[in-house]
Amino acid sequence: MRCWIALYSRICTEAAAPPAGAEGAAGAGAQAAALQQATCAIALGFTPRVTALDEAVLLDVTGSLRLFGGLAQLTAALLAQLAACFAAQQQVVQTLHAQGATSLVALGRLRFRRARPDAGRIRIAELPMDMLSAARPHLPVLERIGCRTWDDVLRLPRDGMARRFDAALLEALDRARGQAPDDYVWQVLPVHFEERLELDALVEQAPALMAGVERLLVRLHAWLLGRQSGLSALRLVWHLDPRREVPLTGQLEIRTAQPSQDLRHVARLVSEHLAQQQLPAPVHSLTLVSLVTEYLNDAAAATGSLLMQARRQGDGIVELVERLSARLGDEQVQAWQAVADHRPERMQRWVPARSAIAAIQSAVAAPGQGARRRRKKSAAAAGVAGVSDVPRAEALLPSWLLPEPLRLKTVGDSPVWQGRLVRVSGIQRVETSSWLMTGEAKGDADSARQDPAVMRDYYIFRSEQGALLWIYGERLRTAVMQSPRRDWYLHGVFA
Amino acid sequence: MFSPAPDDRPDTVRADLADSLANTAVWRAGELGSASQQTCPTSYAALDSVLPGSGWPQGALIEILQPQAGLHEWGLVAPALAAAQKASPSRMTVLVGAPSLPFGPALGARLISMPHLLCVKTRPGAAPALLWATREALQCADVGAVLAWLPDARSAHLRRLQIAAHAHDKLLFVFRPMRAQSESSPAPLRLLLEGDSNPAADGKLRVHILKRRGPPLDMPVLLDTRHERLAALLAAQRERTRRQREEAGGFSYPLPSPRPAIPAESPVHALLDRLVQPHLH
Repeated sequence: MRCWIALYSRICTEAAAPPAGAEGAAGAGAQAAALQQATCAIALGFTPRVTALDEAVLLDVTGSLRLFGGLAQLTAALLAQLAACFAAQQQVVQTLHAQGATSLVALGRLRFRRARPDAGRIRIAELPMDMLSAARPHLPVLERIGCRTWDDVLRLPRDGMARRFDAALLEALDRARGQAPDDYVWQVLPVHFEERLELDALVEQAPALMAGVERLLVRLHAWLLGRQSGLSALRLVWHLDPRREVPLTGQLEIRTAQPSQDLRHVARLVSEHLAQQQLPAPVHSLTLVSLVTEYLNDAAAATGSLLMQARRQGDGIVELVERLSARLGDEQVQAWQAVADHRPERMQRWVPARSAIAAIQSAVAAPGQGARRRRKKSAAAAGVAGVSDVPRAEALLPSWLLPEPLRLKTVGDSPVWQGRLVRVSGIQRVETSSWLMTGEAKGDADSARQDPAVMRDYYIFRSEQGALLWIYGERLRTAVMQSPRRDWYLHGVFA
Repeated sequence: MFSPAPDDRPDTVRADLADSLANTAVWRAGELGSASQQTCPTSYAALDSVLPGSGWPQGALIEILQPQAGLHEWGLVAPALAAAQKASPSRMTVLVGAPSLPFGPALGARLISMPHLLCVKTRPGAAPALLWATREALQCADVGAVLAWLPDARSAHLRRLQIAAHAHDKLLFVFRPMRAQSESSPAPLRLLLEGDSNPAADGKLRVHILKRRGPPLDMPVLLDTRHERLAALLAAQRERTRRQREEAGGFSYPLPSPRPAIPAESPVHALLDRLVQPHLH
């Protein structure tokens, strides 16, 4: 026996009176169609056999009952999903549902429930004739010959019925009784989401676009739920007023490291990016395109589970990195990479954290196994020779390194920095000779200039504040220019 | 009969009172505050003994004032950070507005896991962005500790950070300049760091405790926060200088060049020799 659910959603507006005029009616119709489409999309997350018939949405859930643990649980999950989605849209939506063994029985019960909310349950045979769409053209005749319920019609002789009324009525009744195949053209969600939204008014400030974006994101959310996918990248296009001498569109792309169905994080990223945008002309409409989505295996289970939400307090590190990068810029949020080199400024590299997000994720996820996986991953991702994952531990190096060595003033032959300096230790000599550099500067003048030969003598000085400073003197200059004075540079602090 | 004579059993009454005070969460102003919250040992016994709960309070703002940023932080904070990272290896440590680049090899020697470090900078003068980043980091589930250098933060901003650290139970160090000393602060623990340039002090760090849950502390705590190998190197160098002076006949002379001759029989010769050798790989 098959199991069907019929759904009907209706927006409850505060003012019960519908907006006057043809435009108002058309607007209401478009809104109802959008609502039905959204309901279809969400229902597709529960079964692939979904169709929109007249005002309702019909689902054949026979194949999904076991996965969701029975009809009662499936219905509850479906209604909860709808309510959550519409609540995010800040709409008050009333959803009615009914269940039946065939699609038309479910639909008939739904219509009966709409027409008489307080009537309680009813037998199928006693459903009024106007609950069947196919019977609607013939309602006056049927009324006159005394056929008020489905049962009344079925009692009449079949061949007479076929002659008197069209075949559609009999076929519909056969469908309702399960004697004819109950088949429809099923709804299919497009592979890529692309929707355009006309804004209610011209928008001149980029942050004000957020209201329109949120409406589009709700549709995107329904689409993601239906496809059981998570979003990794999207493109937002705004269409500018064509009367200005500017390009017609502007756009931005948002990418996240983890595909997710929960679009709150994406919405925050979009608003961070929009806050930095300057609109050259007013915007009249928006288009939202999904670029990359990934199928989520456990999407059906994850959305319903309470434990998942209880486990995570606050966002994960990936969300944090993406949000910080969105507002401050990619270069401002950095993660660490070790490099196998003996020159102090080359022993490490601080790279934008967004590009090293895989390494961060594995560091957070599995501390034991992560390191091994990360080594493979980061070496493959960086693709740079010399990126080593085994950090060198060297106690005699400073804990702060200046990004650029700071040239110090000298008094006599010794450096000064915020007062007199006292040398407490030395020498530590670092040099790169030419044979070491051949690999990097092979016939390449540019990299040779970027990468000059290093001959430094490092000393530790104590400053008047009691800090230990790591200061080096250039040895190459003294050797080449025969000058008695050498240049001193501050390169790090033993903090 | 319900009111006993005042001189009846004073000792037992006082003992009872002391007992009940000890059992309940009553803090007497003369004592060091008890650990109402989790603490994280600083690894310095001298500092642990003067801190309430004998360690850095977790889920509270720890305010550290210093004359200049970037001179003494790691020595004080690194052991506790390393312990915290080891205790929860899946948590990140976020540095916000660090004065310069943390140097991985040296911090690795202090047992800090560098892959778990995230460094957030801003353009100079963007104080609100620093505060925002600090608060976002505190709210993140995968972050265990936050170190923030906030030179321009005001008391109201710090209060928000204190609330966020408390709500999310994070280890939060905020480094501020000396001029903040006169401002009021919502931090339950306030320290002032001072280096000592006097060679006789052996390069120890003076930690003044400006505010804590307990009686005020007049004397600063002296901590040797340097890595043991660095301390050994410095001691060896001092010893060598002293010997040179003795050999030179008891009077000291200024060092003529940055590279004095090393006596071959010196016990520190081997150590220094290794340093002098160029690091060629």
